[in-house]
Amino acid sequence: MPFKLAIDGKPHSLTILARRPQLVVAVDGRRHVVETVDAAGDGRRALTIDGAETGFVRAETVEGALLRIDGRTIEVRRLDAATEASAAGSGAHLVRAPMPGIVISIHKTAGDSVRRGETVITIESMKLQMKLDAPRDGEIAEIGIREGEGFEKDAVLARLAAPASEG
Amino acid sequence: MSRLQSAINTASADFRRNEAHNRRIVAEFRERQEAARHRRPQRDLERLDRQKKLTPRQRIELLLDPGTPFLELSSLAANMAYGGESPSASSIVGIGIVSGREVVVRADDPTVKGGAWYPLTAKKIVRALDIAMENRLPVIHLCDSAGGFLQLQSEVFPDRYMAGRIFRNQSILSKMGVKQLALVFGHCTAGGAYIPGLSDYSVIVRGTGAVFLGGPPLVKAATGEDVTVEELGGADMHTSVSGTCDYPADSEEHAIEIGREIVSQWDRLPRWDIQREAPEEPFYDPAEIYGIVPDDIKKSFEMREIIARVVDGSRFHEYQPAYGTTLVCGFANIWGYKVGILANNGVLFNDSSLKGAHFIELCNQNNTPLVFLQNITGYMVGREYERRGITKDGAKMIMAQSCSRVPKFTVMCNGSFGAGNYGMCGRAFDGRFLFSWPNHQIGVMGGDQAANTLAEVKANQMRRNGSAVDQAEIARLWEETRKAYQEQLSAYYATSELWDDGIIDPLDTRNALGMAISASLNAPLGPPGYGVFRF
Amino acid sequence: MTPSPAGAARPVPFRKILIANRGEIACRIIRTLREMGIASVSIHHAVEARARHVREADEAVEIAGETPVAAHLDIARIIEAARRTGADAIHPGYGFLSENARFARAVTEAGLVFIGPDADAIALMGDKISARQFAEEHGVPVAPSVMPTEDLPDFLKRAAGIGFPLLIKAAAGGGGKGMSIVRSAAELEGAARLASSEAQRYFGDGRVYAELFVERPRHIEVQVLGDGKGGAIHLFERECSVQRRFQKIIEEAPAANLSPALRDEICASAARLAAAAGYRNAGTVEYILGADGRFFFLEMNTRLQVEHPVTEMITGLDLVRLQIEIAAGHGLPMHQDEVTAHGHAIECRICAEDPARDFLPETGTVLHLDVPRAPHLRFENALDRGQRVTADFDPMLAKLVAHGPDRASATQRSIEALRELALLGVKTNVDYLARVLEHPAFAAGELHTGFVAEHRNALAAPELDRQTADRALIAAALGMREFHSLVFDVPEPHASIGPWRN
Repeated sequence: MPFKLAIDGKPHSLTILARRPQLVVAVDGRRHVVETVDAAGDGRRALTIDGAETGFVRAETVEGALLRIDGRTIEVRRLDAATEASAAGSGAHLVRAPMPGIVISIHKTAGDSVRRGETVITIESMKLQMKLDAPRDGEIAEIGIREGEGFEKDAVLARLAAPASEG
Repeated sequence: MSRLQSAINTASADFRRNEAHNRRIVAEFRERQEAARHRRPQRDLERLDRQKKLTPRQRIELLLDPGTPFLELSSLAANMAYGGESPSASSIVGIGIVSGREVVVRADDPTVKGGAWYPLTAKKIVRALDIAMENRLPVIHLCDSAGGFLQLQSEVFPDRYMAGRIFRNQSILSKMGVKQLALVFGHCTAGGAYIPGLSDYSVIVRGTGAVFLGGPPLVKAATGEDVTVEELGGADMHTSVSGTCDYPADSEEHAIEIGREIVSQWDRLPRWDIQREAPEEPFYDPAEIYGIVPDDIKKSFEMREIIARVVDGSRFHEYQPAYGTTLVCGFANIWGYKVGILANNGVLFNDSSLKGAHFIELCNQNNTPLVFLQNITGYMVGREYERRGITKDGAKMIMAQSCSRVPKFTVMCNGSFGAGNYGMCGRAFDGRFLFSWPNHQIGVMGGDQAANTLAEVKANQMRRNGSAVDQAEIARLWEETRKAYQEQLSAYYATSELWDDGIIDPLDTRNALGMAISASLNAPLGPPGYGVFRF
Repeated sequence: MTPSPAGAARPVPFRKILIANRGEIACRIIRTLREMGIASVSIHHAVEARARHVREADEAVEIAGETPVAAHLDIARIIEAARRTGADAIHPGYGFLSENARFARAVTEAGLVFIGPDADAIALMGDKISARQFAEEHGVPVAPSVMPTEDLPDFLKRAAGIGFPLLIKAAAGGGGKGMSIVRSAAELEGAARLASSEAQRYFGDGRVYAELFVERPRHIEVQVLGDGKGGAIHLFERECSVQRRFQKIIEEAPAANLSPALRDEICASAARLAAAAGYRNAGTVEYILGADGRFFFLEMNTRLQVEHPVTEMITGLDLVRLQIEIAAGHGLPMHQDEVTAHGHAIECRICAEDPARDFLPETGTVLHLDVPRAPHLRFENALDRGQRVTADFDPMLAKLVAHGPDRASATQRSIEALRELALLGVKTNVDYLARVLEHPAFAAGELHTGFVAEHRNALAAPELDRQTADRALIAAALGMREFHSLVFDVPEPHASIGPWRN
């Protein structure tokens, strides 16, 4: 599976064409021979790419890495299939109750757009408050419960609208 | 180890004729393979596209580590069955690298009849799981199948090595500690539902993936219940309610990503310690094999010339070079792995049989895998040889070979006729892998010999009955027998019936063997020992 | 007192000095204190308890405060900290309380030495009007202006007397209301009436004000030292014209393309002003310099400047040491004619900000800091790996100062050092600074305070070229565990066989 990264929101795909005798990597289909591949890790590093030694400084971040290379600082983010699928509107449509309880607060109303991981409803169950998040990016189609109301395990508390393309 | 001296003259008329002939044969093989892999009715491809589904080969490419090899097995299975309706037997099987681990990949093919299982599909899946068991290779199932092909249920369902064997093998694999992962992209209906059910890990794609014993129409017919696919066996139901599947995925790519991450959690068990050198390309150009293998199966050729184009550096340590010369035995390396090679250079005589048996014992003693390069018309027949005990000498070779504890690999380089097939580790002898070249022919005897034999029997019968020998009838019988034989002798028929693990281009022999040997190292060597040798 | 020769150490009576500051300047002061054998005391708010200036000081005192800045402005608590730790003197650094006359007075009244001018000098120069008047009285040119009036005919007469162009604005104003630039006498009356009526409408105060408008002004400042007894010398000028959001980002010494005569005139006027004020310690007199060579007094900063290192690098003097020595009563370190300058120095202020978004401050965490080192470089900072960069303090993170035999080499060395500098984890203006230095107008010394605005387009970050992007992606990927294992975890012979298909 190609490795996907983004710079300034623009996606790039990296894949490995060969490992021996040298590492050959394709970036968006452009072939690069990579030598003197050192260990992973942050700090000042060097690689020989297409015969030219390239010094750089690297720092890993939560989303990817920061690079100081060719006199520029570049932020590289990782893209994974889950994020892409979520952005494309696939994923679960339902916010379900993981256990019986009551609704403490509802943070969204029908028609609101949500990002994956955004809290839709806060519930309380077994003396524990819990946030229920949107399973993907999308629009709230329906909130099926009101604040203060109780529910059973697996009850559907909110529903996301189906992506427009699937109409 | 010294290099073999090649005596090939690439400028000779023979070489050129052979080369043209074999290139034609390989081109035909590639054409058939291309059709089996990619040629599909447009409507089936459009349906897949509408469902936002990838083809099984696209799924495999995404699953494998980029830049790594994939040894596809039996790409032409079922090519001569069901009127060609089940290309590759509707299932793709191969060995590749996923998250740095050697695995068997097995994919249903929804581009033909919804991925339904034909009898040969079941046979191919059973073989894939046998390979997994024999070599302790984890299995990744890419599930997308409507279930058994109902019109042929008697050939799919009831017998020992039919569909049930798949689930038996899955269970045994799990018991052995060999991991299985199912990625459910499409429907897993009826028996197919047990594939994720019996896998240690499973991922299911939202929207398109579904697992159920009976689909909505069957449920409606059976109980009158109206139920949607999602409710009956969709990703969210199975991952949050029934627990039949482990991970829901938002897209096929996501499922593959989760699957790759699961595989990266698996332990890497130790492989047995085979002798290994740094790999070296053959000194002689493997493409010259095309000019060496003759254009007529009846013409003989020097097997050392083939060995020189398959093994590392074309280096070969020959054992007993002057004794039993119709069987060439010796040590070589393939992708660095030390192997013992047995290659036919003519009919097997008493001395060559004894030499073969002895060499096999040496390899077992030395933990050296065996590679058989077959081009055999059989053990020598005739009064003189029977008196010398050709049968019991051949039996010694079969005994030594059958009881070998080291892995065995067979390449059908040309003919494989008669009992020579047995001594040289034919399909029945549980070699780990068996590959055929496209020029290969296999049978108890050649087409001409069979026709001659049957014609002779018929003529004798006529004579016994006192009637005159009807030459026209004999000629018709001869022609009929030869034609029927010829078709069934072909490599395509053999591979269609899964008598091998696939036809390969002769130039791919080194890589195929390299990956096969590597796979075999995952299973520990069995206990040493043989049965009773007849002296 | 006879000034001692430059560089010779003069003993001071301080055993311990409290630094009422933080960050790079606190660290820089600690460095000199250490060289002088004086103990240091740092102060800090709870949020910066593990900061470098705290760790590097011999002692540290936490100052309570509602906000971190409030702690650094708490005069009573800071003096109490100095007392408690037995400090003899307080160095205020720059910013915070450094120009607070009340603080200077309180320090003195507490029986401690304030390393800086006396409170009266601070008060005098701290008030713009009084400072301007004082300068004018002592022959330092100030921009000609017409003081606010409602008497329009009188205003017009006096304004015309100044000459053009003129800046006219509402006396009570702000936000550009009623402001205009008048380039000829013909436009004057209309502009003044408009300004007056707008001023009336918006502020209920129709008075207008006029001042000579200096086009493409340069910001030139002069470092001075005074002994507090009427003696003063200058340590040459600095140019600080490259600014954004009214703050300097690149400073250099000496100024580019300044004729020796003009330089002498400006520098002499600054020393004259300091002497007249009886100024003690280090200070900076700031000027506006017009394209026509006229210069006008802007203000005097009664403290050490952020950009003091460029002066140190060309003169070879340690300004903090001189400050301490003067505070100890040693007087001036040398005669004016003993002050010499060598080569050229440039300082770049590295700030946590996004030049692409109008230099808005950025926050983050310092994930990696890799600083170029060379005898001709100074990197003033108090950064630590893992340090959070928050909005609590000024966005300036560090200063990169480079020296060279001439302006071109100092520029080139600065560019190279900026390119090499790796400060990852928070967005900074490092690359922007390099682009400014690379701009031909900078090389030509065509500087003015509108430089950043004038060259906005040319200074924007260029599109990332494909080659660099590819290299960055490969370098980033190989640092990520997943990609690294994808490359290296493939067993043999598969890695060698490569992407073979049968």
